Amino acid sequence: MSESDAILLETAGRLFNDARAAETFETAWGEIDAAGFASLLVPEEADGFGGSWRDAFSVFRLAGYARAPVPIGETILAARLSHDAGFDAVAGACSLAACAEGRIENGCFTGVFSAVPWGRNAGFVLAALDDQLIRLNAGAAAVNENQSLAGEPRDGLAFEGAPVETARLNGADVFGLAALLRTAQIAGAMDAALAMSIDYVNERKQFGRPISKFQAIQQSLAQFAEEAAAVNCAGDAAFAALARGEASFETAAAKLRANMAAGVGAAIAHQAHGAIGFTQEHELHHYTTRLTAWRSEFGNDRYWARRLGRSVAKDGADAFWPGLTRRSDAA
Amino acid sequence: MSEAMQTFNLRSFEPPEGVAALRKDVRAFIAQEAARADASTRVNSWAVADAAFSRALGKAGFIGMTWPKKYGGHERHPLERYVVLEELLAAGAPVGMHWIADRQSGPLLLRYGEEEQRQRFLPQIAKGELYVCIGMSEPGAGSDLAAVRTKGVRTNEGWRISGQKIWTTNAHNSHLMIALVRTEEGSERNAGLTQFLIDLSSPGIDVRPIIDLTGGHDFNEVFLDDVLVPDDMRVGEEGAGWKQVTAELSLERSGPERYLSSFGLFVELVRAAGPDPDDSLAALIGRLSAEIWALRQMSMSTAAKLADGDDPALEAAIVKDLGNSFEQEAPRLVQAMTEAGDDLLADSDLARMLAILLQVSPSFSLRGGTREILRGIIARGLGLR
Repeated sequence: MSESDAILLETAGRLFNDARAAETFETAWGEIDAAGFASLLVPEEADGFGGSWRDAFSVFRLAGYARAPVPIGETILAARLSHDAGFDAVAGACSLAACAEGRIENGCFTGVFSAVPWGRNAGFVLAALDDQLIRLNAGAAAVNENQSLAGEPRDGLAFEGAPVETARLNGADVFGLAALLRTAQIAGAMDAALAMSIDYVNERKQFGRPISKFQAIQQSLAQFAEEAAAVNCAGDAAFAALARGEASFETAAAKLRANMAAGVGAAIAHQAHGAIGFTQEHELHHYTTRLTAWRSEFGNDRYWARRLGRSVAKDGADAFWPGLTRRSDAA
Repeated sequence: MSEAMQTFNLRSFEPPEGVAALRKDVRAFIAQEAARADASTRVNSWAVADAAFSRALGKAGFIGMTWPKKYGGHERHPLERYVVLEELLAAGAPVGMHWIADRQSGPLLLRYGEEEQRQRFLPQIAKGELYVCIGMSEPGAGSDLAAVRTKGVRTNEGWRISGQKIWTTNAHNSHLMIALVRTEEGSERNAGLTQFLIDLSSPGIDVRPIIDLTGGHDFNEVFLDDVLVPDDMRVGEEGAGWKQVTAELSLERSGPERYLSSFGLFVELVRAAGPDPDDSLAALIGRLSAEIWALRQMSMSTAAKLADGDDPALEAAIVKDLGNSFEQEAPRLVQAMTEAGDDLLADSDLARMLAILLQVSPSFSLRGGTREILRGIIARGLGLR
């Protein structure tokens, strides 16, 4: 890791932790916004930070590790998509919709964006509509506030003849990028929940000794660590693939692997913590409910498994290994 | 929690230029040399011993790839060797005869052996002509390797070694066994152990087959009755055996064989499913694809660390256990969800591979360190022991 990367990650970690402690969204968002994180993936010549996709993985992972209560990943991706589409840079928090339904007439959009992360707080929101990338000012929408199992805002936005910016998608995969954002967040949340579980079993005593001394506990936390390792490797590799270009295989594989890991991690974390981890008061549920919610967001196991399986089957049995190696050899 | 913990340190896999061409060479070699008649030998293929294939592979320069040229090696980059290994495994090539010698015996001699031992044995290993087996486990020393009792006593003519090794893979085809022996009388646990190269044609050696539950013969018992071993066949310092086998086990656990040995099953699954599978079959293919891809990333990261001279014992344990679990779950899922699983006696490559893997896969989390031992290593890395 270079020195500037180390500073970036140190700053991100600190700001995300501060954001978690903030009382209002504005306070939580303010410092992160002021530090210029939103332009992480925008090139320097366009006044951006000029970070790499690997940097983005690390920052998104830290957002998951700190469970930052802000759409920082969504905003970073929206800024990059906006830049690539030729839209003007905009200030403030932005978001992405998994699903947009509606029609465009005379430069205006009528329709609905569903489950938009922090839709109520976002300035602009992006989505794919057919073969177009569209961007709208969220202020023009009627907001139907909702939240995920973890309490993160997931709002419906209803637009009625709202002015819309459009650009050809040109291969941009809004849903896939958001899926990789969740993959990175799952990687971070897995490591955070694992660290909490390790601390807990080293402190908690039963039968006269810390429960970490029991092999049953050691074996299950080892399995947890394996799953955390798998999702971290998968996430890192998928973002590396993004840096090389087309990453549809890696996106599907990484989000699917992360989904599988999230289920195992949340279950073992709770088992290790016993009853205290099931309380509102304890910190653990913030992670386990996020792991559970993020597994469903931007493609559950079924979605990505079928999609990936169909694409592998279509290419044929003898194309799989050459394809796998060709993609990584291109690095 | 500002210092975000990460258990598995990532390392980029950056081989020298030209690996695409290297893959092409290996694929062409395999297409020409590997007998692919029986589908059941294309899975678990690093247990399939074929001396002719090993000699041809040696001749082509694919054994001892990273070793110095003066010992018959080819001075290639460790990640080039990794690329060759994964190509061989993905194709299900019969690499079992030389696998152990190339993977761990050669590196052991390079690291701890005497110059004369290197000159004598490494060129023959690199030619694919000299085969070696591992004499670690004993009847009373399985997971608890430090309990070995095979005894070596120094005499005027060398060492006299007596005892018994067991689960010795490929001993019946091997020329040498590298054995872990207790050389200090009264020593306990991991002290007083020494490694020896033992010529399996020596008087006093008796190799007896152990037939596994499939009827196959990989394992053996090796009895040693007052076997004379010259002192120039001692590997490394007297009493340094434990440190040496620990390093050897990292090599044994970190390779791509721990997730790729049943890759052929996946290929035949995709072939049988055809270009337009139903939803459940598509989902199965998708799931297995994702797991193979993720394991490969982990395995490559671990290989990159080894290539940099690190000892990624923790990462190797993680990849081996996840790889073993995947290779045990995959046949069960294929059995549960495909037509081949409906009739294991069917006349198809998929059914034949499935039948053999369902039987042999329990051994995957036993050989080279059990699941429980590996998870114990991981738990120690997490600070729980």
